[in-house]
This record gives sequence, C-alpha cells and structure tokens, in this order.
Amino acid sequence: MRDLERELRELSSAIMVPPTPDLAGAAHIRLGATRPAASWPRRPVVLALVVAIVLVAGLAVSPARTAILRFFGIGAVQIEFVDRLPAVEPSVPLALGNKIDPSKAPFPILRSDLLGDPDAVYARGEVVTLLYGSPDRLRLLVTEIGHSVLAPELAKKIVAATTNTRFVDIPGSTGPGIWIEGAPHIVVLADAPPRLVGNTLLWVQEGRTLRIEGAAELDDALRIAKSMR
Amino acid sequence: MGRPLEETELVARARHGDAAAFEELVRMHQGIAFRTAYLVTGSAEDAEEAVTSGFLKAYRAIGRFRRGKPFRPWLLAIVMNEARNRRRSSARREHLALRAAEERRPGDAAPSPEAAILEDERRRALLDAVGRLPEEQRLAVVCRFFLDLREAETADVLGVRKGTVKSRLSRGLERIRKELPDDA
Repeated sequence: MRDLERELRELSSAIMVPPTPDLAGAAHIRLGATRPAASWPRRPVVLALVVAIVLVAGLAVSPARTAILRFFGIGAVQIEFVDRLPAVEPSVPLALGNKIDPSKAPFPILRSDLLGDPDAVYARGEVVTLLYGSPDRLRLLVTEIGHSVLAPELAKKIVAATTNTRFVDIPGSTGPGIWIEGAPHIVVLADAPPRLVGNTLLWVQEGRTLRIEGAAELDDALRIAKSMR
Repeated sequence: MGRPLEETELVARARHGDAAAFEELVRMHQGIAFRTAYLVTGSAEDAEEAVTSGFLKAYRAIGRFRRGKPFRPWLLAIVMNEARNRRRSSARREHLALRAAEERRPGDAAPSPEAAILEDERRRALLDAVGRLPEEQRLAVVCRFFLDLREAETADVLGVRKGTVKSRLSRGLERIRKELPDDA
C-alpha cells in the first residue's frame, strides 16, 4: 500500500510556485542594517523597489488597482508609495468632522506652545484636527489620531514614488517620524474624500499618531513637533 | 553592527509602531506567506495581493497579537484568510501546476520515459484530488503536507483545535484514497 502522506509531502516539492515577490524590498533591508537604534538617517530614501498590486479596499480612492511600490505604517497611518497617484478632485473641501470644544475631544489632545491655541478643533471619531487659519485660508493643520482604534483604513497616505520622503528623529517619538515634501500626495481619512496635500510630517507620540500639514520647511515642522506636549 | 534581532524583539518593537521592525518580520516570513497564498489561490497575482493585504492587516492588528505565542502561525492565519477570500471572490479557477520531472531532481538518475510519465500522471491525479477536497480538508492538507506545518501550527493557522485538524486530515486522506487506488 502506498504511503499517501509521504506521497503528498513529495508532491509538495513538485508543485510549481512562482518566485516570492520581494515585499520587504532591498531598500528596507538596507535601511534596517544601517539605521542605528537611536538615530535615523536624515537623508532621502529611495523607495521604489517592490511592485505589489493591492486593492484600495474600503476607501474612496480610484477603484482601479493601484500599483503599490512600497508600504509601511507610522502609527495609525498607512503610507503607500505608488507608481502614480490616483485621480483626485483638485479642490476637495476639508472634511474634518464636527467642530468641538477641545475639552470634549475623545482623548486628551497634545498642544503646541509654539503655535498657541488653534482657531478651531474638529473631531471625526478618533481623528482630532487642530486648525490654524480658517478652512478657506488654511495656515496649518495638526491632526492627532488616537490609537484605541486601529482599523487599517483609519488613515492612509498615498505618495508617488518621486515624492521626496525622509525619516527624521523627533524627540519623544516612538520610532522614526517621516517627512513628505515636494510633489503633492494624497491623504485619506475614514469617511472623508481623498485630498491632495503638500508637505507633511508624521510621527507617533504618547499613544497618538500626529501629523502636521502645511509647514513650508522641515525645520519648521520639527520645531512644532518638538513643542507638542 | 549589532546581532540580528530575535523575532520576539521585532514583534515587540513593531507593537510600538516601529515600522522597520515590521519590515524585517515581512522579510523573514514573506516566503512561506506567499507559498501559502499561492497554494490556496493558485494565482501569483491573487497570492501577491493576499500577502500584501495580509501583511498590512497584520501590521494594524499587531497590538492584538498575544505575547509569547508563535508569530508565524498568527501571521499565516491572516494571510490564509485573505487568500481564501480572494479565491472565493475570484471568477478564475486556477490550477496548480507541476514541475517537469527533470526539473524536480537534477541530481538523480533520470527515470525511464515510461516511469516518468506514470509518475507524472500519478502526481497530477493526486494534486487534482487534493484540489477537489472540500475546503476545510484541502486547507488542512495544504498546511500539513504542502507547507510542512506541525499539527499545532496548522490548528493555529486554521483557527481550530488540533483534534479538528486530525479529523479533517483523516477524512481528506480517506477521500483521496478512495479516488486514487494504489495502482492509479
């Protein structure tokens, strides 16, 4: 009588399986090998080695498949590097949720001594936004995302591979922050239409994902980040 | 340069939002994750999607990963689930293919052409029989024999008890034996 279990194990090695696509990517491995534990490189990172096709599930971005060159997460934000940005309405109004009294935020929000009180505070679930300026004449947005909800689609950034992106050290941050500048990228928050945005700094601090949008230079964004407490 | 980080340390770091640590975990497990997804979907494209999506979900859910538990089956369970969903939603029904006999054992003496044909026919029939098994039994066979997972790992990946794995395997093997007599 044949040993069926042995036959099945032998069959396993005969099954043709395509080569594993490099999902981690050589760039990731190089970064992992060269990053000191306490300090992250302050240089642009080339982020375009992996071609993985995924569906942009559950979010109001183009339903067509998007070629994702690389992905990773900073706190509650998923960052995807794509070959080209999906089509987005050029001027989507800010959809920040309901205007709230800061003391009624779903978690204690961090504030910046440097910026002072925001002109308005909005909340959409666990996403709290401090607005400086007005929705029509926006100066700066500071978004704080609570970590009690970590749905994959809570927040997403879609970045073209050509966008300048670098890891940065931020005191008090858990892990590195990331600075995205140059070409516009797209931010997608749950239940809000995707929106083209400019320079953004992202990091994780005290159990929140923090995001500054609108700072002209990295140094400005870093000064604000350091003042958040 | 420091020593490579242990998996448990990488997991601990990833739980605190360290994306680089999670990338390292991706690198460590992407091979078996892709093989798992491919054996379930039979399509390289679907498998790649399932693995990518599975890794994203794992990254998001890593805060819920129970410390001290083995990471690989937890991750493969997520990937397996993604792959099953894609197989169900896909209109295509891809079939796994076998390597040519000469590819399989380059160092061995070549079997006679007749023996090679018989061997290939038997393997093709065996693979088809696995493909016809009910999903629960097929996935148990895939985990135990095609991925070479231990019984406990198989149970974790499939989200069932070890006893359930045993019974699914037993029923699956019995069904294959009935379909494929020894001389088939």
